[in-house]
Amino acid sequence: MLAIENLTVRFGGVVAVKSLNLRVKDGEIHALIGPNGAGKTTAFNAIFQLVPYTGDIQFAGRELRGLPRHRLAEIGVTRTFQNLSIFPSMTVRENILVGFHSKSRSNFVSELLGMAREPGQQLEETLDFFGLTALAPAHAAVLPYGTLKTVELARAFISHPRLVLLDEPAAGIPTSEKGTLKAVIRKMRDAGTTVLLVEHDMELVMDISDSVTVMDFGEKIAEGTPAEVSADKRVIEAYLGEETHAAS
Amino acid sequence: MSMDIFLNLTVRGLTTGAVYALVGMGIVLILQTTNVMNFAQGDTGMFITYLAFFMITTAKVPYSLVLILAIAAGAVVGLLVERFMMRSVRSRSHLSLIMLTLGLSLLFQGLAAFLFNTEPRLFPPLVSGDPIKIGPVILGRQDIVVLLAAIVTFGILYLFLYRTKQGTAARSISQDEYAARVLGIPTPSIYMLVWAIGSAMAGLAALLIVPRFSLEPSFMGLVQVKAFTAIVLGGMGSVFGAAVGGLIIGVVENLVAYQFPAIKDSFMLIVIVIVLLVMPQGLFGKRQQRRF
Repeated sequence: MLAIENLTVRFGGVVAVKSLNLRVKDGEIHALIGPNGAGKTTAFNAIFQLVPYTGDIQFAGRELRGLPRHRLAEIGVTRTFQNLSIFPSMTVRENILVGFHSKSRSNFVSELLGMAREPGQQLEETLDFFGLTALAPAHAAVLPYGTLKTVELARAFISHPRLVLLDEPAAGIPTSEKGTLKAVIRKMRDAGTTVLLVEHDMELVMDISDSVTVMDFGEKIAEGTPAEVSADKRVIEAYLGEETHAAS
Repeated sequence: MSMDIFLNLTVRGLTTGAVYALVGMGIVLILQTTNVMNFAQGDTGMFITYLAFFMITTAKVPYSLVLILAIAAGAVVGLLVERFMMRSVRSRSHLSLIMLTLGLSLLFQGLAAFLFNTEPRLFPPLVSGDPIKIGPVILGRQDIVVLLAAIVTFGILYLFLYRTKQGTAARSISQDEYAARVLGIPTPSIYMLVWAIGSAMAGLAALLIVPRFSLEPSFMGLVQVKAFTAIVLGGMGSVFGAAVGGLIIGVVENLVAYQFPAIKDSFMLIVIVIVLLVMPQGLFGKRQQRRF
């Protein structure tokens, strides 16, 4: 599905990602974890052609380099953002419809004359899928953070992408709502969307992931199932820090 | 000032205000979506009006058809400006983009002078005939056309922004360009569309107001200044604020002009200063605050 080979991203003298190899298999939930500054979000940004990089990033056999950003949604890759980027003065419905733009084929004139076919069915299904039906007409600016995170998931999912990248979906979500979030992410996978997520919440990662890649200082240090990774010595060191390293 | 005079001045002011509103809404639409303050909005309209004049006098195209052709020409000009000027500078500084629109304004003035010379010409109104009396208010036929055209344009703009997927896309870009693009909004084509719509509106506005003045390369200068006043008054961020702002400016200006003709134009500049000092967010603008 997604194949990253030898990905390196430099910012001036700093190497943010160093020779990263990563394979995300079709239909899995794949977590990318690591301490702050490990290069996880930078890797996401490289996939979205937001930072210059060396190496290859292929999606479904297609090289992504040079692809205009807005074409990614069209070929089936969408994302959410670390610091929520919802459109505050639009309604929940409109926010989610933005995610459907690339899939709707209607032209401008028929839209203006009100003759375009509304993406009604996809919208209803998506609202229902994420439990947002009642909130559809509400303005995003008045809704709580947790709800907006769900709106963002719905916006990334309405086009039924083949791959969705979730950047810290659990950040800012109260513990009581984490169960719902896990269920939603699983449902997305079961509906045929491959999930790649960056997340700090280890409990969530270990619970829902099919495979986990661990990064530290821009490099991959471990990979495997949640059980394998959590038993890995280098992973424990990376998370517990330098002191452990020096003592061992 | 008697009631009758007051009413007449007000209605007449509304028609002028409708034109300021048209120019202002076009500027705000482009500003909000593409983040560029288009200082060439007025002169885009001026140039389109020259093209219309050419069509009427030299090519003998019927008037009603000219209106449609002029709006279409405005759209094409906007499209070309975005595609071949704005886009190539977009990655540079914001200031370059603004300077580019100032240059564009001079370019249109130069082109108009070069192609059609600077001699002032009379531009006939779209409709002629005796004024119409509605109660105490006497309204020229052209004024009625101006008001109707402004209302229809406002309606179409509303439909565009809130009922079409391209309009929703434009609004999403105005709030978060980066997110919109990553979610699959083709920002380059939306920018082109918005420039086309904004420039078509400029052409329409200029064509509607030119019979009040005479056709010369500088005739949209003051109109654009007043459109800017309308935008500041209405709140930079809102197309509909610009519309209301334009109408208010038109009415106030006409009332002031009746009592104190000498300060008609400078009065509006005083209004800008006061608005910026007292309520910089304007009537309908949002205070600069972000939740996230």
